[in-house]
Amino acid sequence: MDLFLQRLFDGLTNGSAYALIAVALVLIFKATTLINFAQGEQAMLGAFIVLQLWNWGLPMWIAVITGMLISGLLAGGLERAIIRRFDPADHLPLVIITLGLFLVLNAVAAIIWRYDPLAFPQLFPHGSALTIGNARLSWYSIFAFGSCILVLLLLHVLLNKTKIGLSFRAVSSNLESSRLCGIKVGPTLQFGWALAAAAGTFGASIYAANPVLQIEPSIMLRALIFSITAAALGGLDSLWGALLGGLTIGFIQSVLVQYIPFIPNEMTLAATVAVLLIVLTFRPSGFLGTKAVERV
Amino acid sequence: MKARFTLTKGSTQYRNYRISVWALLILIFLLIGFAFVDVGSISIGSNKYNLSLIRLNKAIAYGVAILGLQVVVGYTGQIALGQSFFFGMGAYIAAWLVADHSWPFLLTLLVVVPSCFLAGMIFGLPALRIKGLYLALLTFGLASIFPTIVKLDSLNVYTGGANGKLTGYKFKAPSWIPLDEIAQMLQNIPLLGPFFGDGPLSNREESRLWKYMLFAIIATICFWLISNLIKSRPGRAMRAIRDNETSAAVSGINLALTKTISFGVASALGGIGGAIYVAEVGIASPDDFSSLVAIYLIVGLVVGGVGTLEGAIIGGLVYALIPDWASSTQSVAFVPERWLQGPTGSLILGILLILLTLFMPGGISTALKKTKKKYIQIQNPSLK
Amino acid sequence: MTNVLLKAENLTATYGQVEILHGISFEVYGNEIAVILGANGAGKTTTIRALSGMIDTTGTITFNKEDISQLEPDSIVRKGVAHVPQGRGTFPELTVEDNLRVGAFIRSDKEVESDIQNCYDTYPVLFERRSQSAGSLSGGEQQMLAVSRALMSRPELLLLDEPSLGLAPQIVEALFERFLIMNKDHGTTMLIVEQNAQIALGMADRGYVLEAGEIAVEGQASSLINDEAIIRAYLGG
Repeated sequence: MDLFLQRLFDGLTNGSAYALIAVALVLIFKATTLINFAQGEQAMLGAFIVLQLWNWGLPMWIAVITGMLISGLLAGGLERAIIRRFDPADHLPLVIITLGLFLVLNAVAAIIWRYDPLAFPQLFPHGSALTIGNARLSWYSIFAFGSCILVLLLLHVLLNKTKIGLSFRAVSSNLESSRLCGIKVGPTLQFGWALAAAAGTFGASIYAANPVLQIEPSIMLRALIFSITAAALGGLDSLWGALLGGLTIGFIQSVLVQYIPFIPNEMTLAATVAVLLIVLTFRPSGFLGTKAVERV
Repeated sequence: MKARFTLTKGSTQYRNYRISVWALLILIFLLIGFAFVDVGSISIGSNKYNLSLIRLNKAIAYGVAILGLQVVVGYTGQIALGQSFFFGMGAYIAAWLVADHSWPFLLTLLVVVPSCFLAGMIFGLPALRIKGLYLALLTFGLASIFPTIVKLDSLNVYTGGANGKLTGYKFKAPSWIPLDEIAQMLQNIPLLGPFFGDGPLSNREESRLWKYMLFAIIATICFWLISNLIKSRPGRAMRAIRDNETSAAVSGINLALTKTISFGVASALGGIGGAIYVAEVGIASPDDFSSLVAIYLIVGLVVGGVGTLEGAIIGGLVYALIPDWASSTQSVAFVPERWLQGPTGSLILGILLILLTLFMPGGISTALKKTKKKYIQIQNPSLK
Repeated sequence: MTNVLLKAENLTATYGQVEILHGISFEVYGNEIAVILGANGAGKTTTIRALSGMIDTTGTITFNKEDISQLEPDSIVRKGVAHVPQGRGTFPELTVEDNLRVGAFIRSDKEVESDIQNCYDTYPVLFERRSQSAGSLSGGEQQMLAVSRALMSRPELLLLDEPSLGLAPQIVEALFERFLIMNKDHGTTMLIVEQNAQIALGMADRGYVLEAGEIAVEGQASSLINDEAIIRAYLGG
């Protein structure tokens, strides 16, 4: 029982990080109907920027917020310089572009910061908040999950209660009518990219702040697959779905795989891809996605 | 713009032109083989660039795998990113048969091709329902799990786990091919002789040269088969699906069959490429088939030119040579050393991918064709 | 009737390699209802899309004596031209109320709320469904929403692209009656593109008949509607 609880707690921890990257993927998907394969690497680079700012002496939370702003600006620039030149309905060139960004960003991070793991600022208090038998729920897990909820609430308010949020939702619903209503589509999509990058940077920072992890350029490679699956599971265009999907993947990883004897431990990744396959084949709209998204 | 020469299809002139182009290509191919069998490097400034046959053999392996991507992505229009999975599968099957069952390398293809074809068709089945971006997601996931699968403890006996599987196979050139004599002859050409090395070929060099020719023959057969496939009925069906799936279905094309066959062919080619790769490097190790490799193969596809057969050759060369050259470059004026020591190759390939998609969507092969058109124009006889 | 609100001169538009409009000229006067009639493929939709900047054109479009030919759609809306595209053009994932708010996107005055209220007064069904997603509305309700949404930008000129398409005859009639009321009560100028010549000419002041990318006939609606020859030749009536 203790072990089971412990694994539930672990699932919560990882799931929160996946959910945040999944949120970033969902934001881009809503804006441009595109899966940004470089999202994980953008987030990784953002977390490195946070680390660098912290090393230069900024207080850690100021560093996180500044890092989010910088990566948002960079992503906005990318959208303007590259993504906007392509027809959003033609998927292949855009997928290729994001794969190119994947390679470039990964290489840039590796060139600047090398492959040695570096200690990331401890954003949350140490120790365990709750002990049930031998199962310990750490403060880190609680704060990781809490900040995930906080980000989602902020995004929810931003998208539903502000004018820029309204224009973002309008553009993602009907591009042509948005233009006819006087919305400047380009800057709105750019805003979506910036928002996604900022959310991703936050996610990667939370992930790297895990006391058992250090940051290195390949930190998001595996997490990307988990996050992609989380986003698909949630429905690709649903923010709260991304949270549900992230937690589900976290639990599949830490609970399900551990308790099914014929699935070896190393198969978490394969199990995740199997979930992806099943979801995409039988329920492409995921938990909370819009049905119309089914046939893209 | 008026072309320098105009040739009409079917004329004697045109036939002579085709024959001489092919003869020239084969001659250049052989000369490169003999020239780079021993030294294989060029020095520019303080940097030494490897051109050895090892690189070229890898280029052939990648080229065949990229040819597979041409079939499924280029001609059928399915965004399948998982080629590294089948590349790895072919490599591991070949390595296992050679190492544990002492099969000769060529014979392993008899197992590699059908098993990869079947696996490809099976993975193609979800693609009947899953389209566009979703397919890209799924195939990318597929590519990323291959290393974890071969590292499984339960498969250790077959795959060698994290250490990889050594083949221990030695290629030996058949004695009826006078490799040594040709080498001697080339070395005796005045002025150019030293370019082809010195003295008789060692066993190692002979074996390398033989592999080079053998792989090239396998690759040529693949290219020939695919170029015929593309021109045939199924090939037309594939292109129809790429251009407009709905109208293809309406005009009586069997979507399910065409797509699964296209996936099967692509995966079989991936498998052949993997088998060639393992025959060259002598070991199948898990990280040679990671999702990064899947992306590099896409780079090869795009840089060479999506939807062109020649593009696969160019792509293979780009993949095999650019990262290697990038890591050989230790000093360039005005570039800080740090930027040359990390994964510079990956950086360059990524930049190439973005720039070509932006500015030269047809890839290098389309650009070359345009240049060629300025000089030689091929006409259809009916147009007269 | 001398105040020209919108003037298109020598308008040409190409789609790919094909020229759709071959240099047409027409005008819309202030406070009138003008219609452009024509069969399928005559270039009606292209014309109206050209006016709101959705496609590249050559020629000159002047609105309120200002050249708007080179402006982007979002700037043209700000000049006071609203466009209800063919097929409604609502935002299916957004609620009815959010659709109206998007319609008022270019405004930041205090009267947005009261304008939303006016829309609800005009079409009580929209009020009932204000928090439903627009995609769940019926065709007629969507058209009401689309028109209301366009009016939310308080346009001087309303462009309507085949508002009758796919709607039942009674609903079409009610819709066009509403257009007439809007025109008479609020002085909204309208340019309507229609295939349904009878109903369009019945309420319009003037009409143009577009055929294969050129204006074949123009005149007062009352004279067009009584010209049997025109009806038969161009409008398949």
